[in-house]
Amino acid sequence: MEFYTKETGEKNNFLALALSSRKNLCIHPEVSSLRFGKEVDGKCHSLTASYIRAQRHSNPNQPVCRFYEEFDAVGRQVPIPSGIYNLDDLKAFGRKKGWCPYYLARYSILHANIVVYSYHYLLDPKIADLVSKELAKKSVVVFDEAHNIDNVCIDSMSVNITRRTLDRCQTNSLLNETDAAKLREEYRRLVEGLKEANVARETDIYLSNPVLPDEILQEAVPGSIRTAEHFVGFLKRFLEYLKARLRIHHVVQESSPQFLKDIYEKVCIDRKPLRFCAERLRSLLRTLEIADIADFSAVTLISNFATLVSTYSKGFTIIIEPFEDKTPTIVNPVLHFSCMDPSIAIKPVFERFQSVIITSGTLSPLDIYPRILDFRPVTMASFTMTLARTCLCPLIVGRGNDQVAMSSKFETREDFAVIRNYGNLLLEMSAIVPDGIVAFFTSYVYMENIVASWYEQGILENIQRNKLIFIETQDAAETSMALEKYQEACENGRGAILLSVARGKVSEGIDFVHHFGRAVIMFGVPYVYTQSRILKARLEYLRDQFQIRENDFLTFDAMRHAAQCVGRAIRGKTDYGLMIFADKRYARADKRGKLPRWIQEHITDGSLNLTIDETVQLSKHFLRQMAQPFRREDQLGLSLLTLEQLQSEEMLQKISQIAQQV
Amino acid sequence: MDEEPERAKRWEGGYERTWEVLKEDESGSLRATVEDILFQAKRKRVFESHGQVRLGMMRHLYVVIDSSRTMEDQDLKPNRLTSTLKLMEYFVEEYFDQNPISQIGIITTKNKRAEKLTDLAGNPKKHIAAMKKAVNSMCVGEPSLYNALNIAMQTLKHMPGHTSREILVIFSSLTTCDPANIYDLIKTLKALKIRVSVIGLSAEVRVCTVLTRETGGNYNVILDESHFKELLMYHVKPPPASSSSECSLIRMGFPQHIIASLSDQDAKPSFSMSHLESSDGGPGLTLGGYYCPQCRAKYTELPVECKVCGLTLVSAPHLARSFHHLFPLDAFQEHPLEEHKGDRFCQACQGELKDKSVFTCPACSSVFCTDCDLFIHDTLHCCPSCIHRQGTS
Repeated sequence: MEFYTKETGEKNNFLALALSSRKNLCIHPEVSSLRFGKEVDGKCHSLTASYIRAQRHSNPNQPVCRFYEEFDAVGRQVPIPSGIYNLDDLKAFGRKKGWCPYYLARYSILHANIVVYSYHYLLDPKIADLVSKELAKKSVVVFDEAHNIDNVCIDSMSVNITRRTLDRCQTNSLLNETDAAKLREEYRRLVEGLKEANVARETDIYLSNPVLPDEILQEAVPGSIRTAEHFVGFLKRFLEYLKARLRIHHVVQESSPQFLKDIYEKVCIDRKPLRFCAERLRSLLRTLEIADIADFSAVTLISNFATLVSTYSKGFTIIIEPFEDKTPTIVNPVLHFSCMDPSIAIKPVFERFQSVIITSGTLSPLDIYPRILDFRPVTMASFTMTLARTCLCPLIVGRGNDQVAMSSKFETREDFAVIRNYGNLLLEMSAIVPDGIVAFFTSYVYMENIVASWYEQGILENIQRNKLIFIETQDAAETSMALEKYQEACENGRGAILLSVARGKVSEGIDFVHHFGRAVIMFGVPYVYTQSRILKARLEYLRDQFQIRENDFLTFDAMRHAAQCVGRAIRGKTDYGLMIFADKRYARADKRGKLPRWIQEHITDGSLNLTIDETVQLSKHFLRQMAQPFRREDQLGLSLLTLEQLQSEEMLQKISQIAQQV
Repeated sequence: MDEEPERAKRWEGGYERTWEVLKEDESGSLRATVEDILFQAKRKRVFESHGQVRLGMMRHLYVVIDSSRTMEDQDLKPNRLTSTLKLMEYFVEEYFDQNPISQIGIITTKNKRAEKLTDLAGNPKKHIAAMKKAVNSMCVGEPSLYNALNIAMQTLKHMPGHTSREILVIFSSLTTCDPANIYDLIKTLKALKIRVSVIGLSAEVRVCTVLTRETGGNYNVILDESHFKELLMYHVKPPPASSSSECSLIRMGFPQHIIASLSDQDAKPSFSMSHLESSDGGPGLTLGGYYCPQCRAKYTELPVECKVCGLTLVSAPHLARSFHHLFPLDAFQEHPLEEHKGDRFCQACQGELKDKSVFTCPACSSVFCTDCDLFIHDTLHCCPSCIHRQGTS
């Protein structure tokens, strides 16, 4: 920032800020100490909602959040001074001024030049409506790290309902003891002004409707659920119906029209009132002046489901499973309302904003994204990395020293020889790679099996002579502890191995810079669990709607996760790392071709289908090469450009060559 | 898995891709690259001139040799330990040749422990003998960087401030087993102005990177044996002294070598002071020797610190040899052979100039071949042609 001011010689009014949930931004001493996001939201709401604040006028003992009060009083007049704020900066600024950072950020979005926030604020219809509604049409939307964008889209539109959800609805006070007088009062207000005033909008955001076509919003709430009593009855009926549906012993899969027809026949619920369910619940909760909305999450979920199922007839499917996959004997019915089509969630974004950029380090193959997201790209380009030295070394290990092929494919995954060879590979690598190694398995179950087997064979013991071993588990606290210790071991020269799972927390969010990850080993190809019914339904939908073959999509999905995993090791031009793909199948052209270009171009024919011994030799050589002093001057002109070089004609030509237009 | 038997045979050893270095030229010939490699190898040792900087002439250097399990690796032939010790012998000789008034000591570390092989001393023979013995020792367990550095530090911290305190670690393992936080030790080393350099035999280890960066040393990882030697030789040259180090005048004695012949009646054989303590016998009684000008104690070898009065005893050639570090010979200018006009003969060896490049002395503009250039810079430290002119004028 200062640099720019100095270079351009003028003060620029530039505002960039990050927005996150209340949990991350709250500075209220009591509220911020809560652990779960939902609790924080609820508590915050109970301190800042408009009617609470209205009550304070009459009753000064009513607790309110002083930060919000302060912000509301003065914060709006003065815009936040220009600069770049991350979450901590915002909090610090808020503390200094005594303003609530969350609302400050929410408010400042309107005049900020750059806003950074999570995908959900834009894609999830429930939130997007509140946060991103006022963004200008001319805004440029950049989805960074967008290799998983289709899954995010789908998640934001899907609803899972278990029996517990329903039970919690049942016990909810709203549906049991309803104060008749209050309900009547509510109805009176509703009639007075169907359109809610926008005044309280900002704070009363706790529930909002899923994406509804505008015309539905314009319509009036249908008569059958207009009175609150009727609506509560309506919800109860709907709930009972869902409970009845969950009381099954076999798997049911149906489309939304089928579901609607069934519900009409069984409990006479029409499609139209269902659509308004979410909206209606929202206004009801507001007038009932319920402070803590956390209790109502289950009811909200149900009403959202009702609205979604009645709004969209295509692209969704309902799957009711009586058992979970892992425990096929215990009855634990789940209703998955899952979105098949990621383009539904992202469509409003494409329609609304002028330019949308989707980018990621591991976005490959490029052409599949337009197909699954259903858009026509203006331009597509993939860039390689310009490196002054080849700082990545992808190796595909296909065989053990005994020539037995290594693969995690289903038929051979229990094979003793394969497990032993995987163990030997890790053992050999642990002896020659300094500091940290990260190893990825395809699933938790597979990892447990293999590690148990290694233990029996004594491989684990041998590895431990070289390095310490840490394991990622499904427990977040345990994993972060393991990570911390892992980094400590790398730092002080003991060396460590982290065993983790592709698609896990480690593979997505955590970077292993420099010595924290000198080598990444992928044990097997991380395919998704193909027996899942949701996945099957989605594959079917992709085949029918977009003509994408199941196998293509599965490979694409597996390879993007593999690339994501191995990409953890290299986080900069001065960094270096080995990438070891330990599965015979990676050598095949269809797999290899789906890796990002910057990895692909370093895979030579010589590094395909290696044995463990060859891998060790190549790695040793690579590590020694990379340990040679690497100075800034070496990069100059190659991966680092001075201003003159950047402006020279020759370089511009070279750059346009590198950007491969697709 | 049972332990693999020690690989003894060449054909059982690891895979090597020796052919990868070679690249064919357009005609498919390898000659150009081979020649290039040879030429590069020759030229590599041309040093970057320090210019006029203060150098630490009196050095106290501890060499830590890792003798852990990994030293049995056979990527250096016959194995890492033997190869290292052989190079170290050469290093010790070269070190005393170039730094006659310095001292060296050797520490080994294995099995999570560290022990002194030899104390700080100025006698190359003792170190070399100790290392010859060490070749046959077993390499077991893990090294302990902490313990090794700690031992070295205990001795080095008592060394006077005007000398340079250095530790050179030859680190083969990728792990270290430390009893305490090594980062505290690094801070202490930094405070004591001890320079730690590391030569890695396998790959870059984080803790060494930090160690050398903090203490101002070098960290290098070897590529192969010749590169290893080159990196070791880099440590022969005295490092630039830090500007904060003390300056002091040092008393030195220049004893004369008195040779008494057996025929001389007055001559009595006597013991050398330096042999009094060593129990290995050696040449006990000798006739002649160096006598300390202050206390008349007798020594058979120089340089040494007098056991009686603590005076540093050196000979004039020793000091003279250290002298060239202060005034290094400027690097010669390199030109391609085609551009060179005039005689195609090297000024020094009178041989025909055949290599790709020729070298010109900037002072007297005489022309030398690559071999002579290396010889002049590494051994002579002065341009023969310049000296010749001085003599004639």
